[in-house]
Amino acid sequence: MSTEQEASPIPGTAANGVKRREFLKVLGVGTAATTMLGCASEKVEKLIPYLVSPDQTVPGVSTYYATTCRECSVACGLIAETRDGRTIKLEGNPDHPVNRGALCARGQASLQGLYNPDRYRGPMVRRNGQLQSLTWDEALQIFAQKLGETRSRGAASAVFINQHESGSFPGFLDAWLAGFGMPAHLSYDAGADHAAIAANRQSYGVAWPRLDFRAARLVVSIGADFLDGWGAMVPQQLDFADARADHERAPRLIYVGPRRSLTGLNADQWIDCRPGSEMSIVRMLGGQLTSQQASQATGVAATVLDGFAREFAATKPSMVLAGGGGADGLEVALAANALNQSQGNVGVTIKPNEGYLGFDRMASPAELRALAERMNSGGVSLLMVRGANPAFTLPKSAGFAAAMAKVPFKVSFSSYPDETSEMADLVLPDHHSLEQWGDAEPVRGTISLQQPTMDPVFDTRATSDVLIAAAKKDPGSAARYPMADYRSWLISRFPGGAAGLAAALPRGIASGSLGEPTTARPVPPVRAATPIEQSSGNMYLVVYSHPFIGDGRGANKPWLQEIPDPVTKICWQTVAEMNPVTAEKMGLANGDLVAVQTSAGSLTLPVLRYPGTQRDTVAIATGRGHTHAGRYAKAGFNPLEILPVAEDRAGGVAFVSTKASVSKAGGYAQIVTTEGSARQHGRGIGQAIAIADLRAGRPGEDPGASHVAEAPQQSGSEQGAGEPAEEMPGDAPHQFLPGLRSPVANDAQGEQGDPKSKDKGMYDPNHWSGMAKRRWAMTVDLARCTGCAACVSACYAENNIPTVGADWQTGKVLPDRTGFGANILRSREMAWIRIERYYEGGEDGGADFDARFVPMMCQHCGNAPCEPVCPVYATYHSPDGLNVQVYNRCVGTRYCSNNCPYKVRYFNWFGYGEPARPQYAFPEPLNWQLNPDVTVRGKGVMEKCTFCVQRIREAENRATAEKRVLKPDEFTTACAASCPSRAIVFGDAADENWTVTQLAKDARAYHVFEELNTFTAVVYLKKVNHPTPAAAGTA
Amino acid sequence: MATLSQPLPARDEPRRPNIATADIQLPAVRDYEQVDREIVGTLHPTVAWFIGLGIAVMFLLIGIAAWMYQIYSGLGVAGYNPPVMWGVYIISFVFWVGIGHAGTLISAILYLFRAGFRTTIYRCAEAMTVFAVMTAGLFPVLHLGRPWKFFWLIPYPNWRYIWPQFKSPLVWDVFAILTYLTVSSTFLYIGLIPDIAVLRDRENISPIRKRIFSVLSLGWRNTDREWRHFARAYLFLAAFSTPLVLSVHSVVSFDFAMALTPGWHTTIFPPYFVAGAIFSGIGMVFTIIIPLRKFFGLKHYVTINHLDAAAKLCLFTSLVVGCAYMTEWFVAWFSGNEFEQSFFANRIWGQWWWASAILYTCNMVLPLSLFSQRLRRNASWLFILSFTVNIGMWFERFVIVVPSLSHEFEPWQWTSYRPTWVDYAILAGSFGWFSMWFMLFIKQLPIIAIAEVKEIIRPKLRIQHAHGMTPAGEHFDFEPETPGEHD
Repeated sequence: MSTEQEASPIPGTAANGVKRREFLKVLGVGTAATTMLGCASEKVEKLIPYLVSPDQTVPGVSTYYATTCRECSVACGLIAETRDGRTIKLEGNPDHPVNRGALCARGQASLQGLYNPDRYRGPMVRRNGQLQSLTWDEALQIFAQKLGETRSRGAASAVFINQHESGSFPGFLDAWLAGFGMPAHLSYDAGADHAAIAANRQSYGVAWPRLDFRAARLVVSIGADFLDGWGAMVPQQLDFADARADHERAPRLIYVGPRRSLTGLNADQWIDCRPGSEMSIVRMLGGQLTSQQASQATGVAATVLDGFAREFAATKPSMVLAGGGGADGLEVALAANALNQSQGNVGVTIKPNEGYLGFDRMASPAELRALAERMNSGGVSLLMVRGANPAFTLPKSAGFAAAMAKVPFKVSFSSYPDETSEMADLVLPDHHSLEQWGDAEPVRGTISLQQPTMDPVFDTRATSDVLIAAAKKDPGSAARYPMADYRSWLISRFPGGAAGLAAALPRGIASGSLGEPTTARPVPPVRAATPIEQSSGNMYLVVYSHPFIGDGRGANKPWLQEIPDPVTKICWQTVAEMNPVTAEKMGLANGDLVAVQTSAGSLTLPVLRYPGTQRDTVAIATGRGHTHAGRYAKAGFNPLEILPVAEDRAGGVAFVSTKASVSKAGGYAQIVTTEGSARQHGRGIGQAIAIADLRAGRPGEDPGASHVAEAPQQSGSEQGAGEPAEEMPGDAPHQFLPGLRSPVANDAQGEQGDPKSKDKGMYDPNHWSGMAKRRWAMTVDLARCTGCAACVSACYAENNIPTVGADWQTGKVLPDRTGFGANILRSREMAWIRIERYYEGGEDGGADFDARFVPMMCQHCGNAPCEPVCPVYATYHSPDGLNVQVYNRCVGTRYCSNNCPYKVRYFNWFGYGEPARPQYAFPEPLNWQLNPDVTVRGKGVMEKCTFCVQRIREAENRATAEKRVLKPDEFTTACAASCPSRAIVFGDAADENWTVTQLAKDARAYHVFEELNTFTAVVYLKKVNHPTPAAAGTA
Repeated sequence: MATLSQPLPARDEPRRPNIATADIQLPAVRDYEQVDREIVGTLHPTVAWFIGLGIAVMFLLIGIAAWMYQIYSGLGVAGYNPPVMWGVYIISFVFWVGIGHAGTLISAILYLFRAGFRTTIYRCAEAMTVFAVMTAGLFPVLHLGRPWKFFWLIPYPNWRYIWPQFKSPLVWDVFAILTYLTVSSTFLYIGLIPDIAVLRDRENISPIRKRIFSVLSLGWRNTDREWRHFARAYLFLAAFSTPLVLSVHSVVSFDFAMALTPGWHTTIFPPYFVAGAIFSGIGMVFTIIIPLRKFFGLKHYVTINHLDAAAKLCLFTSLVVGCAYMTEWFVAWFSGNEFEQSFFANRIWGQWWWASAILYTCNMVLPLSLFSQRLRRNASWLFILSFTVNIGMWFERFVIVVPSLSHEFEPWQWTSYRPTWVDYAILAGSFGWFSMWFMLFIKQLPIIAIAEVKEIIRPKLRIQHAHGMTPAGEHFDFEPETPGEHD
C-alpha cells in the first residue's frame, strides 16, 4: 500500500511533453524555495517530534506506549500506536484486567480529542471581555496572584471542580487545595448513575460491583444500559458477550424500561413499562405486588408480567440491575439490590469484591446545583474548573451558567472550549490525557499507568504541573512542593520508585494500590421531583445519555457525531423518539417537527418513529446542541434546556421526572440517519436461530427470500414445513469451506483451472510468495455482537476514513439538503463497516420485537461481482483472496458499487483529503492522526474495506524478516481488535489452525446472499434467540 | 422501386393516405432545378436561425460551466445518493444513444428495405444520429469521478502493459460507441458527396467556401463511373451499418443486463433497448423535422405521407416496447424471485410510481393514438407526441437506472435520489451541444438529400406539364398542398 497521498495529477507531466529531467529540476527548485520560505516564515518543526529518546524512534516504524484511557471513569488500558512521534491509533491493552484488549468507540475517539482542531492553543486571559493569549509565565503569575488574593480574603470561598477521575490526582489536588486552605474539590461526572452508585454502596459496600453474567441464568435490567455507558461498559460487554456465547448456559436478558436502549435491543424480552413505574415491577418481582396491580401501574399486560414474575422466581441465580435515571432512582436501585440479596445473587452473579473503583468519591449534580445557588448569592470568589462542563451538563434550569457569571474570577483548566470554560477569566489549558502522566486503580490491586504518548500538540501544560508551579510561587506552599513536576511526584510514590515505574510502564499496569479511600461524599439536600404523574403534559419525557457523545463530552469529535447512534442510527442530529403507533395517532411522520414543552421550557425538534419507545413516551438524547464547544458540537439540540431541576435522593439528575406536552409544530426536518429500511423483508441478512432449534440440531427459522430464489420450483405457500434440512443455510455442508474458495473463484484467481497452462503467475499455489495458499476471511458472531459500533470507530481511526457530515462539507446545491448531516441525508457516509440494525416482528408497533445487529463490511467475495465490471482493473482479486481496490487506477465509474449486492463500496464525492477545500475532513491537527500506512483517498475514487491489508502485509513482512511463517491469530484487523464483545474474528481460512477456520465450521454459519454465488469471505454466525418461555405457553 | 402486390387505381393513388411506403412520391416537385433551388435556398442564414443558434450556445455554456464546477468540486455536487451511483448522466447517455439510432435505421435499414419514405427524411435523421452519438459520448466521461483519466478505458499500448478489463461492459461501450460514431459519420459523409458537389457548383459562392466544398466533394464530377462506385459504396455502408444499429444499443443494454442488480439483470434488455432506441429516435426525428419542413418551406418534400409512414414505424416500435414492459412484469412474477418481485412492485407502486406512470403513459398509451389515421396525418399531433415520446423514453431510462439502484438487495441501503441543478444544467447543456451542431449543420449542408430526391422525381419530359406525375406516368393537376393533411 502506497503511503503517498493521492493528490490530483500534476498537469502536463507526460501529455504536455515536459521532460522528466525538467520536471525534476522544477521540483527540486520548487521544493528548495518552499522550504526556504517555510523556514523564514514559520516556526521550525522537527520532522519527527521526539518524545522519549531518539534511539527508540525508527522512522516509519510504530512505537507502542501503554497508557490509560480517561474518557470515562472506568480507566481502561490503552496501547497507543505512535508513528514518527505522533499517536495514530489506540488499541485496548490486552494485559489490562478491565478491558482485556477491547476498546469502545469513545476510547477510540480519544485521539480526536487529542488532535481536536478547536483545542485551546495556549493560556489565555480575559481582557476587555475577550480571551487573549499570553505566555505561561504571565498566566502563572496571574493565577498565583489570584490564589494569594483568595487566601487573604477567605480561602473557603474557592471552589475546584474536576472532571471525575480516579487515581492519585484527586488526592494530590485535595492536598494542594488544603495547602491554600481551600475545601476539597468536587469530582463531577454528569454521565454517571449516581443513584445506582449510592445504592450499591449502601447494599454491597462498593460503588460498582463486577457483574458476572456467566454465572447468571437470567438478567433483568431495569433501565440499566450496561452495554453502553452504564457503569463499566467495556468489561460488562466482554462478560456479557462471553456469557451469551455459551449458548446452553446463556442468561436470558429481560429489559424493563420506557425506552429500549442498546441493552434493551440486545434483550430477549422488553417490558415497556411507563416511565416512573419501574418500582412497581421491582415490587412485583419481590412479591409485594400482584401482576394485576403492577399491570395497572405500568401499562404492561398482566399476562406478560405474570410470566416475567414466574420466570424470575424460578430462575436462579439471576441478576437485577436498575438504572434509568428516574426520580425514584435510588429507591428502585435499592429495591433491586434487595432482590439480588434475597435471590442469593450477591457474591454469585454480583461480585462486590471484584468491583470497579472508578466510581468512588463522585460529587453529585445536587452538589453542583447547590454550588450554583452559592455562587448566585456571591459566596464564591474563585472558581476553578478542570475538564467538567457543568454549565452544559446540568439542566439549564439549575442556572449554573448564570450563577457562574457572578463569580469574580474563574479559572478553567479545560483543554477544549466548552460552555463553562468560555466563561473563564483565565484559561490554563491542560494536556490531553495522552500527553500527560497519571495513574488509576480501576480494580483493586491493579495500578493502571498513564504516560505521555507524544509531545504536546499545543502549548498546553498538565494541570498537575501548573498546580505545582503555582504552589512554588506561593511562599506558604513552596516548601511542600520540592518536586520538579507531577511525574517525579508520581515516581516518588510509586512502589519501587523510578526503576519500578520503568519496569511497569511497558505493560502499562502494575500491581499495588494507590490506597484511595472508598468513601461516599455526603449528599446535600436534594431537590426532589414532584411525582411524575402530577406534572402536566400529554407524554412522559425521557432524557437519556447519548451512547457516544454522553453528557456532551464527545460532541466535538467528528467520529462520534458521524457514527450513527447504535440504537436509533441517527447522526449529527437530536430527535424526539416516539412510538410509531403514537406518532401515527398524532399524525406525525418521521421528520415532522414537534414542540416538546415542559415547565422549564420548550424545544422544537423532528420526530423519529422508534418502535423501542413506550407508547406514552417521548425520548431525547443528551450531548448535542452546544453553543461554545467547537465547530462540530453545534449540531443538534440539548434536551437539558427543557428538563426541570429534579434530583433523585442520591443527588443525581432525575432524567425521567416530568411529563411534557408534545404537539405538532409544523415544519419538517429530514431525519439524518443511515437507515434505509429497518426491515429485512425476509432476505436473511441477519439470521437467528432459537436456542431450542440449535440444541436439537434443527435448521431454525426460514430466512425467507433467499430460499425462494434457490428453490423456484416450490411455491411460496409450501415453504417451511416439509423442507429437507440440507437446503437450509444454517445446516449447509459448506462445501467451499474451509478455504471458502469457490470453483469460480479458482478460475477468477488465475489459470489454475487449466492444468496445461504453464503461466500461473502469482495465483499459482506454488508461487514463491505463498500468497495463493491463503484465504483471508472473517467470522462475525451475531450471538455476540451487541451493535455497539466500537468496530466502526476503530475502522475510522485505522483507515483514515473521512467524516462527511459537518454542514460546511456539503456542496451547497440543494436547499433541502443543508445543515449538519446533509451529506448523510444523501447516504454519503464513508464508514467501511456499518452496523445494520434490523427489526424482526412487532410490525404492529408492539413491544414484542427483536433487533438484529449485522456488521456489514466488504465481504471479499471469492467470485466478486464488482471485479469484472470495473473497466480499468481498479478492483481485482489478490492471490490471497482479498478483493483489492487500487485507488490510483480508479477512474470513478462507480459500476462496482452498482454491482455490489452488499453495498459496501464508498465513493469520494468531494476532496475530503484536500486541505484547501471546505469538505476537508481532517482540519489541522486532526490530520496528524492519519495512518501513514493507509492512503488518504482522493476525490473521485471508490474505496471500501480492505480487511486492513496494511496490517496483513506488515505481519507478513515481519514474518518474512524473521524467517518464519505467520503464526495463527498473530494479528487481526482494527475492527476485530477493538470489538468489546469479541464478535469479529479475522484470519486465514485456508489454514486449520486459525480460529476463524474453526468458527466458520459452526452449525450457525451462513453467508449473506449465498444464492448469488458470491462466495464471500465473511461468515456470519446466526444470532441465538432465547424466546420468552411464557410466550410459548400463552401465545 | 418495389412493386405493389395489388395495383391501385392510379388516379386515386396520391390521394390515398395509406400509401405503401415504398411508393411515396413528391407530386409538387417537378424538376431538378426546383430541387436545387429550393433545397440550396434553405442554407441562407436568417435572424431566427441566429437566435436559435445563440440559445443553443447559451445552453451549452451553462452546461460547460456546470461541468467545470463539478470537476472542481467533485461529483458530490450532482445529486447522487448512494447506492444510486448512476443518475441523470447515465440516463441521458442512454437517452442520447437511443436517439442516435433512428438515423442509421432510416438511412441504412430502410434503404436496404427500399422504403421510399426514407428519402426526404434520412439526411436529417442521419445528422441527428451523428450529433446525438457525439452528445451521448460525452456523458460517460463527465459522469466519471476522475474524468481526466477517461482514456484509461481505451486499450492503448503502454509501457506497463496495463490494459482495460475486457470483461467490463463499460469497455464494450467504448468500442460500441466509437465504432458507431465512426461508421455513422462516414455514412453521413459518403451520402453527402454528390450534394456537396451541388453546393460547390452554385453561383455566387465565396472562394473559400468553394475550396472547402471542392475538397469535401472529393472532386465529384457526376460521371457514370462515380455514380456506380458511389451506389456500391453506399450499399456496402448501409449493409455495414445495419448490424451496428442492433449491436450498439444491445451493448449499451449490457451495462445493465450484465449486472446483478434486480431490474437490470435480465436477458430481454438488448431487444428491448433497441426497440426503445428506435422508438425514441423516431420521436426525435419528428421533433426536428416537423418544425424544419415548416420553417424551410419543405412541406412538399417531407409530405404528410412521409410523416404518416414514419408514424407507423413509431407505432410499431411503441408496441414492441410495450410488449417488453409486459414481459418484464410477467417474468418478475413468473420467476418467483423475491428480490425481483419486490423490485417490480416498488417500481410501479413505490416511491418512483410517478416516473413509471410517465413512462407507461408516454411510451405505451399515447402512441396508441397512431392507430388513428387522422392523428397520424396531423403534423401538430405528431409534434406533440414526439415530445411525449422523448420524455417517456428519458423516464424509461430513469426508471431503469434509479429505482433499480435505490431498491437493491440490501434493505438497509434503500435510498432516494434527487438530482441537483448541476445535473439539470449539464442535461440542458447536452441539448445545447446537440442543437448547436444541428443548427450549424442545417445552414451548411442540405438537410434533404438533393441527389436522392432527384432520383425519385420523374426526369424532365419533352413536354412540360404544370402538374405532377403519378408513378404510372399519368399526369394530374398540381396541388400546392398534399391532400389529407390536417394541420
